[in-house]
Order: sequence, then structure tokens, then C-alpha cells
Amino acid sequence: MLLYILKRVLSAISVVIVTLVASFALFFLAPTDPAGVICGPRCTPERVADIEASLDLDEPPLVQIGSYMKGIVVGRDYTTGGTTQHCSAPCLGYSYTLGQPVTKLLAQALPVTISIVLGGAVVYLIVGILAGTIAAQVRGTSLDKAVVGTTLFIQSIPYFVVALLVALYATFLPQSGYHPFLDNPLTWASGLLAAWLCVGLTNAAAYTRYSRASMIETLGQDFVRTATSKGISRRRVVYRHGLRAGLTPVVTIFGIDLAFQLTGAIFTESIFGLPGLGQLTLRAFGQYDLPVLLGGVLVGSVVLVVMNLVVDIAYTFLDPRVRLG
Amino acid sequence: MEPLIEEAELTRTGASTDAMADSAGDHEKKVSTRRKSPTQIALARLRKDKVAVICASIFVFFVLIAIFAPLLAKLEGQDPTTLHQDLVDQYGYPTIAPNSEHWFGVEPRLGRDLFARFVYGARPSLIVAGSVTLITTLIGVIVGLLAGFVGGWLDRILSWVIDFVLSLPYLLFAIAVPAVLLSLFVGSSENAAADDVASARFFSLIIVLSFFGWASLARLIRGEVLSLREREFVSAAKVLGVPTHKVLFKELLPNLVAPIVISVSMALPSYIVTEAGLTYLGVGLTEPTPSWGLTIAAAQTFYRADPLYLWIPVAAITILVLSLSLLGDSIRDAFDPRTRR
Repeated sequence: MLLYILKRVLSAISVVIVTLVASFALFFLAPTDPAGVICGPRCTPERVADIEASLDLDEPPLVQIGSYMKGIVVGRDYTTGGTTQHCSAPCLGYSYTLGQPVTKLLAQALPVTISIVLGGAVVYLIVGILAGTIAAQVRGTSLDKAVVGTTLFIQSIPYFVVALLVALYATFLPQSGYHPFLDNPLTWASGLLAAWLCVGLTNAAAYTRYSRASMIETLGQDFVRTATSKGISRRRVVYRHGLRAGLTPVVTIFGIDLAFQLTGAIFTESIFGLPGLGQLTLRAFGQYDLPVLLGGVLVGSVVLVVMNLVVDIAYTFLDPRVRLG
Repeated sequence: MEPLIEEAELTRTGASTDAMADSAGDHEKKVSTRRKSPTQIALARLRKDKVAVICASIFVFFVLIAIFAPLLAKLEGQDPTTLHQDLVDQYGYPTIAPNSEHWFGVEPRLGRDLFARFVYGARPSLIVAGSVTLITTLIGVIVGLLAGFVGGWLDRILSWVIDFVLSLPYLLFAIAVPAVLLSLFVGSSENAAADDVASARFFSLIIVLSFFGWASLARLIRGEVLSLREREFVSAAKVLGVPTHKVLFKELLPNLVAPIVISVSMALPSYIVTEAGLTYLGVGLTEPTPSWGLTIAAAQTFYRADPLYLWIPVAAITILVLSLSLLGDSIRDAFDPRTRR
């Protein structure tokens, strides 16, 4: 067991390191002239040299990657326009277009994305599991067919179209925008409500199908019949005994989904104007802000790898039948 | 393993729908004993599926629109790039409603013809999605076959690469990588011509989507091959001295038709959505390419004043993707009897 966990952790670390090196090479070593872009159209050669020196662009590639990695561990200094900026410990570079360390920008963006994803998850877990369980109980009836048909329909519509139409036409929902939770939880919730409903109701379709399939299988098992024959009420059998066993596979899918949504909330963020990770990356694309692009990609990869690791390890505890190897 | 009951049921009902069998008249018995490959059985199942037939015709309709876009635009007498500034008032709003000259009206601000942009807009969607599906399927099948069949260190390396690609945040990369590719293709972005940028964006979109798309199919094929290669017919072929590439492509590949077809049918709509979505965000295709994603992005500010401008591309992309997804679902049900509801 310990060996398995160790193996998975090592492979996760290897993925993160390769991602780091590969994306660094792509962004900074390709002949892309980042200094010129940072400097802008009205640029003096001295200013370019200044930026190149502060970004270590005049050093050989290995030194560049080395100092970038060193920056992540111990921090580093950036010189811009004569003044020196210190970028403390987990330093992912310095955004010249925004004049802020990338770490700070990411730290501002991540809570927004996490708020969207977790709030949406509450909606789709409740709606999806409830609808799936009900559909599984009335399997084969017209209600069940209607539920399955609806989920198929919702899953087939492009998500960004749904989000856009909700943002444009659902004006009865409160104005969307991000306000920090700690300032005022109520405005936080009302600003995110539209995004939550959008993420929640579209993803609920998939969860309805998962939990319906899982519950159909569970409700056909012996222990459910035993529980029923003991005289336990139908409701208690389904929601106490059945749900507990039926939800294990759904929870696993949820773990992986959550990771992908954290890195893929771009459409929600950009359509509802919420300044999250995706919005940050998108803005960096427009301004060719390479340090921010790289930082966003790296944080996204780490989130994904760590979540996958957690799900894999948690699954071996949840389901003893999983073969370790 | 095809269940026997399935086959019996199929040949019984299949005889009446099969045109060839009917023309043969009284040789019904001959037909019922005719052997069919699993693919033929699946296709016969698909032909009976009304939803699948309707969805396939809608897809064909859009493909025809894309192919005959110049012809359709000529029929209307317009083209997608001419600016009709005379049809737009000083605030940018079009002064005309859809009429016989401009079937869907004109664009606000620039005054380009909307019908022409609609028919031409079908092209990039289908070309990007089609070529990405083709590339990812080819790479995925080849990598999966090699990893599963050859095994050993090659399998270990390829599996690691598959895991690696699958654990990358693909939307973030889809935004970040074109920025770099763009400067590789056209150099500094400030003095590049709009046409160069547009074609560079087009190819970098295909490259990025292909890079992230092949891994899941490769993993699926690898798993299938791992179980297939232990089967007797493969051992027999090996013992007979059939060369490896023939075992791979003549013995194994025909058994992988179902997962490949299913994966293609699921991939196509998802790439259409991704293309339109990324283009909508401003990181996919750019002007002057006519694209539905671009039109949606431009139209969202006019949604009250000119709803038709927004709703034509929205409806087009929704109908196309919806029908392709439903078709994909039917194809999966037809090729994989286990998933039938």
C-alpha cells in the first residue's frame, strides 16, 4: 500500500517537473522575443537590455530554468526601470504589464475560481444525485425517460452558448461579479449565483446519468432486498442503504471532474466577468504576458495532478477490490 | 462476442427493411443465414434508429452548406467580406430588415451580409473539427496499438506520455500555446498582415487541439489490445509467421472498429464546440475568417437591438452539435450492445 502511494507520488512529481521544463522551454526559449513585447512599441534598446537582464533572457537556457526553479523555492529579485522588486518564496515570475508578481495575481484569481467551482458543485451534486435516484426508482416509466432525455439534451448543447444566453437573458438573477467572501458572504453569494446555476444545472445532467446507472445497479443487489424484506420503509432503504453504496463511483468521478473544472472554468469566468484563473490567463494571452501564462499553466497542472493523486489514493481506501499495481 | 439472440432478432426484422433481400423475393431463408460482420450489424441497427437518421441528415445538410458556401452566397448575390456601409446608420445599427437582397440582414457596424457569413462560417468549424478528429484518431490508434502490442519499455514510455498529456490543464494550454505558436509562425505580431495571423491561428488551433486530443483514444485502444493480443487468433497468426505490422493492421485493427467509430463520433461534436468556444473567447480563429464563434462574440453586445445577429450562429452551432451528439449516442448504442438502455 505504502509502496503504491510512493509510486503514484513519484510519478505525479515527474509529471509536474516535465510540465514545468516543457512549458518553460516553450514560452521562454522559443524565438519569441518576450522582452520586446513586454517593452511595447515605443521601446529603447537600453530598456530591452534591461528587461532581458532582469528576466535572465541573456543567460543560457539551463541557467534560465535554474533561476526560475530557484525562484519557486527561495524567491528572486526583478529589476524594472531602475527599481528592484522582490518576489518572495513561491515566485513564479513577475508580470511586467501589470507590475505585480505572478504569485500575487494567481493568489487573487484562485479564490474566485474555487468559489465558482465549489458553489456549482453543490448545485449539481444535489440536483444530479436527487434526479438520478428518483429516475432509478421509477426506471422505465415516462418520468424516467423524460429525465434521461433531458440530460441527453442538456449534455449536447455547447456549454458556452448556455452560459452566454443565461448571462444575456436571465436578467432576473442578481448582477454577477466577485466580492470576497470575508467582506460580505451575502454579496459574495449573490454575485456568483448566476455562475453557480449555470455550472450546476449543466453539470447536473452528467451526474443524473451517473447516479441513475449506479443506483439501478445497487438497488438490484441482495442487501437491498434483505433490507426491504426486513420491513424497512422504501424511502429508508433507498436513501440510507442504497445511496451509501451507490454513491461511491459517483464520488470518484466527482473528484476528477472537480480538478478539470478548476482549470476549465474559463467560459464561466469570461462570460460572467469573474476575475478567476481562466480570465487571468485569457488577459495574459491578449497582452502576451508570458510569465502570467506560464504561471497559470503551471498552477493548473499542479492542481490537476494533485487532485488525480488524491482521488487515486482515496479510491484504494474506498474500494478494497481495486488492484494495486 | 455477439449474443445469439441479438443476431436472430436482427435478421428477422432486417429482412423486411433490407431492399436487396426484398428484390430477391422468396429467398428469405438465404438472407437469414447470411453472415454479417459486427460492423454491418451495427450499421443495420443504426438505419432502424429514427433519431440517428434524422441527426445524420442534419449533419449532412450542414456539410453541404459548407461545401456549397460560395454557390449559396452567389445565389443570394452577396459575399462575406463586402462592407455595406450604406445600410448602416451613424450609430452602427443596420437600417434594413432581412429582405430578398440580404436574406438574414446585414451585420451592425460593418454591414457585411449575414447569410454569406453564416454559410461560410460552417467551413472553419467543420474543417477544424474534422481534421483534428482525423489526426487524433490516427495518432491515438497507432500509439495505442504499439503500446498495447509491443509492450515492454515502449509501453512504459508511451503510457507515461499518455498519462502526462491527460493530466495537463488542456483549456489553459489551449489559450497559452497559440500565443507562442503565433509568434513562431508570423514573427512579431504587430506588423503581421491580418490574413497571415488568421491562417497562423487556424493551424495553431488544429495543432493544439490535436496535441491534447489523441491520448484518451490511445489509452482506450491500448487497453483493448492488451486483452486482444492474448486471444487465440493472434497467437495463431504469430505462429504462422505473419509479420508484426500485418498482425497489427489485419488481425487487431478490424476488432477495434467499434471503439474507434464510437470515439470519432463523440470527438467530432466536442471539437466543434471547442473551436467555437475558443474562437468566442478570442483565442481561436480571428477576422477576416468568417466563423460562428466570432459572430457570437461580436453579436453579444447587440443582443437587444439585433437579436437575429446573435441567434443565427447560436442556433446553427447548437443544432449542429446537438444532432452530432445524439448521432454519436446512437452510434455508441449500435456498436456497443452493452450500453443499450
